[in-house]
Amino acid sequence: MKKTRKVLAVLLTIILTLGLAACGGGGGSDSSGGTGDGTSITLFNSKNEIQEQFEELAKQYEEQTGVHVEVYYSQDTVSAHLATKYASKSPYTINMVDPKDIYTLGKQYGADMSGYDWVADTDYAITVDGKVLGFPTCIEARGILYNADAIKRVTGKDFDPSSINTLDDFKAFLDELVAGGMESPTAILKPDWSLAAHYLQQVYEEREDPEAFIQGLYAGEVDLMQDAKFNALMDTFDTLKAYNMFKAGAISAEDELVHQAMSEGQDAFQFGGCWEWNDILTYDYTGNIGIMPGPQNVQDAYTGMLVGGGSKYFYVDGSEYTSEADQKAAMDFLNWLATSDEGKTFVSETCGMVSPFRSNTVPCSNDIGVVVKQYVDAGKLVPNYDYDPDDHYSKLGIEMQKYLADQCTREELAAAIQNYWATTTPVEH
Amino acid sequence: MKRNTFSYKVKQYLMFGGVGTFLFCAVVIVPFIYGIYLTFTSWDGVSRDKPLVGFANYAAAFKDADFWMAMGRTVIYSVFAVVFINILAFAMAYLVTSGVKGQNFFRAGFFVPNLIGGIVLGYIWKFVFNRAFVAIGNAITGGTTTSLLATPRGAMFCLIFASVWQYAGYMMLIYVAGFMSVSDSLKEAAMIDGCTPAQAMRNVTIPLMRSSFVQCIFLSITRCFVIYDVNLSLTKGEPFGESVMAAMHVYNTAFTYKRYGQGQAEALILFIVCAIIGVTQEWIGKKGEVEA
Repeated sequence: MKKTRKVLAVLLTIILTLGLAACGGGGGSDSSGGTGDGTSITLFNSKNEIQEQFEELAKQYEEQTGVHVEVYYSQDTVSAHLATKYASKSPYTINMVDPKDIYTLGKQYGADMSGYDWVADTDYAITVDGKVLGFPTCIEARGILYNADAIKRVTGKDFDPSSINTLDDFKAFLDELVAGGMESPTAILKPDWSLAAHYLQQVYEEREDPEAFIQGLYAGEVDLMQDAKFNALMDTFDTLKAYNMFKAGAISAEDELVHQAMSEGQDAFQFGGCWEWNDILTYDYTGNIGIMPGPQNVQDAYTGMLVGGGSKYFYVDGSEYTSEADQKAAMDFLNWLATSDEGKTFVSETCGMVSPFRSNTVPCSNDIGVVVKQYVDAGKLVPNYDYDPDDHYSKLGIEMQKYLADQCTREELAAAIQNYWATTTPVEH
Repeated sequence: MKRNTFSYKVKQYLMFGGVGTFLFCAVVIVPFIYGIYLTFTSWDGVSRDKPLVGFANYAAAFKDADFWMAMGRTVIYSVFAVVFINILAFAMAYLVTSGVKGQNFFRAGFFVPNLIGGIVLGYIWKFVFNRAFVAIGNAITGGTTTSLLATPRGAMFCLIFASVWQYAGYMMLIYVAGFMSVSDSLKEAAMIDGCTPAQAMRNVTIPLMRSSFVQCIFLSITRCFVIYDVNLSLTKGEPFGESVMAAMHVYNTAFTYKRYGQGQAEALILFIVCAIIGVTQEWIGKKGEVEA
């Protein structure tokens, strides 16, 4: 008995010591960085859906150049995740972030990429204080998604999105669908980012000088109820609401259900964008899904245009934690991503993203992306406004959700939006 | 060798508690103190400079209406959850110590929910509330039933329900230990003296189990106050941000709104509130403890 206990004690001690040693060892090997002969850099990818493809691409790149690119992904909030990396003094060499992060994170840590071939090949690079800091991964645009097959099934005719220009056209068309047997032809995603950062955002973006409008909101000088654009977009929103197939549970309808309905043609229209492609593909996709501008009764310079721009930007860490050689390797990799045939195929075909580079003529494998690309090429894209305060989408998302669930009137929504901006510290940029 | 010298005691302490103390300092005390320092800065979470701003973050935290709403919600949630967790746990413990058939199976079964992580558990219940219950409701009424998660009160109910389901089994184990610690002879003596089983339970068993109650209530209060994972996966603060609990608000302030200092200050306030309630409860509970 005594002996067993002794043996057990010794065993436990060994296990615990080994455990500690392993923890210590793990930390140590992390900082060494290199894998031996070749250069090794790290890349943080914040698009979950392309993680595997990215790892595959990194392998290709290593075979060609000998430079090892380790691709990481994290479920965590991007800024929170990068904060821990900086706090531990081991940031990624290349970081994929949202455009607004380039103005904060990129400005502090980013390395200047000017002079590379890709810079002249795009309109979407982000330049801060004369330094090219943001490398655009793709273009994303917002509008009304439609399922042309579902529509054809009801109307018997091929759907021509250009036939719908005004809200009245849209309403008439929806009524036709209802008469044809499709009870509820629309759907609305309920998350705050979709309602506030994507839909409401259009109120700021579809005007000549969004910056001046935002400054007016900060100063409390804007009366949204008197604003034609706000009312026009809300009228369209009301229409989407009226025909919403998830009307009974508008704010509990999970994204999956909304995407499934669009993918399988249970409904015909949904407010969304090209990033939803992968979600839509998950179901029994009927094919023939496209995107069109949100029809409004106010006709102006933005009629017939999608809203969007560069989305998900890479910046190369230029802080003291990353050596010059690694920075150079990182920039070379990004340049390769934009200019090589492999890189172009990766963006457009493998990942189905809309390339922000003019020289990329590889056809996009994403049905929605194909349409977006046409709008981009025709210059019919209203640019994004990237300087919202960080709590904008969540705070006003709540207000939009209330409006979606008929818990508040348009006046109350307008007042809440105005109040939010008037009580928020302006974002410096 | 003298055993009552200071250096001998220090050495003895270091030998047994040195590693533990070091680790505790490294992962709890040091970050805690550093966290307090951060509450005096306007750090955004990532930038290099952490400008000192004095007590501005505390002022902002006290003025942050959303934070106090979240705090109020957390108190309401905790009260209901703690009461139901303990009632249910006690009842289950009574059941599985009363000699019913297959009580070991029940013990294991009731404990299982506690083995499922909060995030997974939240998603499971989300599915049940959003799909299963709605489908059953539709089938019964023939109309459209709205999900409980679509209304603020319903979401609160779902959170309490899921937490009770998660923790009751764990607390049950502590109550089971309590029941087992009360010797049968005492109950028998009470019965011989003319007590009914209910009286014996009220006057003999429960007072002797007081330490189990103190522990269970302390554990459930402190866990409920800092609920985050179930909150995130089950409701994500929806609908209309009316199920955002204090911890989620702190996270959002610090990481989503990038006001790290303010978030940290709010976290400290949450900690203090939690500590005061926990310690007071423990103190009151311990005061009247009876030893057999």
